[in-house]
Amino acid sequence: MSVTYIDAIREAQETLLRDDPRVFLYGQDIAAFGGAFKATKGLAEQFPERVLDAPISEDAMAGLAIGAALQGMRPIIEMQFADFSSIAFNQIVNHAATHFYRTGMPVPITVRLPSGGTAGSGPFHSQSMEALYAHYPGVVVVTPATVADAYSMLIESVKLDDPVMYCEHKFLYRWLKAKSLQGDGLPIGRARITRMGRHATVVTYSAMVHEAVRAAERLQQESGWEIEVVDLRSVKPLDIDTVLASVARTGRLLAVGEAFPWGGVTAEVVSRVVADGFHLLEAPPMRLNSRDTPVPYHPKLWAAHRPTPESICDSLRKLLSY
Amino acid sequence: MPQLGESIAEATVVRLLVPVGSPVTIDQEVIEVETNKATMGVTALCSGALVELRAEEGVSYAVGTILGILEVSEEEVARTGVDTLEALERKRLETQSETSQSPGEQNLHFAVDGDGYEEAAPPEIVPSVRGLSVPTGTMGAHYISPRMRARMDEMGLREADLSAIVGSGAGGRVTVDDLEKFLDYIQTWPSSQASPMRLAVADAMRRSWTRPLATVGTSVGLDRLLSHRRHQEKKAGPTLYLLRAFALALKEQPEVAGFLIGSKVVHPRSFDIGVAVAVEDGVLVPVIRQVDQKSLVDLVQEYDDLVDRARRRRLTEADTKGGIATVTNFGTFGLTWGTPIPLPNETLILGIGAGVKKPVWSETLSAFIPATEADLEMTFDHRVVDGGGAGLLLRRIVALLQEPQAL
Repeated sequence: MSVTYIDAIREAQETLLRDDPRVFLYGQDIAAFGGAFKATKGLAEQFPERVLDAPISEDAMAGLAIGAALQGMRPIIEMQFADFSSIAFNQIVNHAATHFYRTGMPVPITVRLPSGGTAGSGPFHSQSMEALYAHYPGVVVVTPATVADAYSMLIESVKLDDPVMYCEHKFLYRWLKAKSLQGDGLPIGRARITRMGRHATVVTYSAMVHEAVRAAERLQQESGWEIEVVDLRSVKPLDIDTVLASVARTGRLLAVGEAFPWGGVTAEVVSRVVADGFHLLEAPPMRLNSRDTPVPYHPKLWAAHRPTPESICDSLRKLLSY
Repeated sequence: MPQLGESIAEATVVRLLVPVGSPVTIDQEVIEVETNKATMGVTALCSGALVELRAEEGVSYAVGTILGILEVSEEEVARTGVDTLEALERKRLETQSETSQSPGEQNLHFAVDGDGYEEAAPPEIVPSVRGLSVPTGTMGAHYISPRMRARMDEMGLREADLSAIVGSGAGGRVTVDDLEKFLDYIQTWPSSQASPMRLAVADAMRRSWTRPLATVGTSVGLDRLLSHRRHQEKKAGPTLYLLRAFALALKEQPEVAGFLIGSKVVHPRSFDIGVAVAVEDGVLVPVIRQVDQKSLVDLVQEYDDLVDRARRRRLTEADTKGGIATVTNFGTFGLTWGTPIPLPNETLILGIGAGVKKPVWSETLSAFIPATEADLEMTFDHRVVDGGGAGLLLRRIVALLQEPQAL
C-alpha cells in the first residue's frame, strides 16, 4: 500500500474540507470531473456545494477567493496549470499580497499551482512560477518535494493567514510514492537536509530534489564524493540558515532549479550565501537551471532543457574539481 | 584500476604490456601506471586470456575503472575468488532501489507516463577519504579561497605557512582539505610554542621578504682600523667603526636609503642607524641616533648601554624606532659572510663577517704580506637602489674605514 504525491494533495483537501467548515475548493472542472489531474476526485460528492466549478477565468477565480477570504472563508483555488495563473497575477500580487499591509485584514487564500515540466507538455503546461510570486512581499510560496510534505504543507498553507502559492510538481504526481502520509512535521519556512554529505551542498526544491539525490548517489558510487542535498521546501520564506549551515560543512554550493535561469530562486540562494557566508566558500558558488528558452515539446528536447542527474553530476564535478 | 595508495583516486596508464589475445598468468604485470608519486605495475588478479583492453596509454583512469577484460575459467574464478563482470553487475543492481510500475490514472487533459518511484529512506553515509582528487602540481597557495582565508585568519596562519603544502585543487591550488590534512599530519610531529620574540622576528622577516632584495659584497682591509683601535683609550668595536662609516657614506648619498611607498620615495630625515643584537631566541635592533654627528668615542657609551639593555630585554619602544638602516656584525658568530635581510621599514642592511688573516700581494714590496680582511655585504631593496648605487655606497664605506682616525 503506497500513496502518491497527488493522493497526498487529494487527501489533504479532504481533511481540510472535513475539519474546517470555512474551506471550499474552486477551480475549472474540479467538481464532477475531479480536476485535470484528479486532485479533487470524489470530493464534490463527499462535500456538496463546497467543491465548485469555476468559469474559464483565472482572474475571476482569484478575485472570488480574495472576497470570500475577506468574508471569513478559507478558499483553495486550483489553477489548472501554474502557467495560467499569470491571468490572475493582478489579483494575487496587487490585491491579495498587499491587502493585510494596506488594511490590516489578512487574505487567507491558497492557490494550487500544478507546476513544472513533464515530457511532451510544451511551453504552456510546464513552467515554474515560484520565483515570480516569491518576488512579492506578502506572499508565501511553498514547493513540496515529498509525499508527506505535499500533504502537511497544503494543510498548513490553508491554516496560514497569508496568501499561499502552493507549487505542486506535476512530474511527481504519480511518479512519487511513499508508504504513508506521515512525515517529520517540519513547518513551512524550514528547509530539510534530504541527504547528508560533506564535499558539496546542492540546494534545490520540488522535483529537482529527486534529480539531485540521484546525481549524489551516482557520484558516491563513481568516486566516493559525499554530496549534501538541501530541500528548501518553501522558497519564501527561504531558510537560509539551514543552507549556510550546510555550506559551512561542505564549502561548496550548487543551487539547482527547474525554472528559467534569469534571476529566480537559485540566484537568490547564491546571492544570500555569498553575502552572509563568503568566508565559508571554498569554490565559486554555482547555479544550474533549465535553459533560457521556452520549454520544448519534444521529450528529448525537454530532457535536454531541464537539469537532469547527468547535468547535475557534471556541474558537481566541476564544482568539486575547483 | 586498483587502489594504489591512500588518497590516490586516479592514475595514468603509461604502457600496456600485454596485447589483446595473449594469455596472462596470475600476478603478471599487465599494465604500467603512473601516479603523482610513483610508477607501478598493475598485475593480473588471476590467470586467463586478455580478451579486451579498455585502457589507452597516456590516459588517466579513476580507481575502480575497468581497464581490460580477462577470459577466465570457472575453476580459476573459484580458486582466486575474483569478482566476475556478472557478479559486479549483480552487486550494482542490488544497491539500486526497487522501482515499481502502476497504471496511470485516466486523464483527458494530461497524460502522465514513465516509471513510478518509491521514496526511500536516505542511505547512511559512510565517511571516507577516497575520491579526493590527485594532487596535480606544486603551484601552492597562489589562490586562496574565501573559506581558506577565513580558516587561516582563525588560526593565525600566513601564506608563508602554506609553503609546505602540495595543493590538490584546480591548478594545484591548496584547498581547505589540503590545509586540514597538513595540520593533522604535523600533529604527529613534536612541536612547541614559538616565543613572542620568535614570532616578532618571523613577522618582520616575512614582511620584509615581500620586496625584491639583492645583496652585494666586497672585502675590506681591517689593519688600519685595528691599529687605530689599539691606540685608543676608550675602545670602540669594529661594529661602531662600521656604523660611523656607514652614516658618513649615507650622508653623502642619502637617496640610497630612501624608502619606496607607491610612487613616493621617503628620504631619511636623520641618520639614525640600528645595530642588530643577538638575544635569546631572536634579534633586537636598537637604534643609535644621529650617528653622523657623533664621534666614535661618544658612540661607545651609548652603544654599550643599548646592547646591554637589549640583552636584558629592557629596550623601550622608542629605542628601536625610526632607523633608516641597520648594521649587523655576524663576524661575532665566527661567520665570514652572509646575506642579511633589512628590516621591513628599511631599505638597507650592512653586514660584516669575521676578520681573517690573508696573504695580500704588495706591489711595492713585490711580496705577499699578511693582512686582516673581512667581507662586507649590503642587502638592499632593488626597487629603490641598483647594484651600481649599492656598490658605490659600499666602496665609499670601505674607503672611509681605511681612514679610521677621521671617523
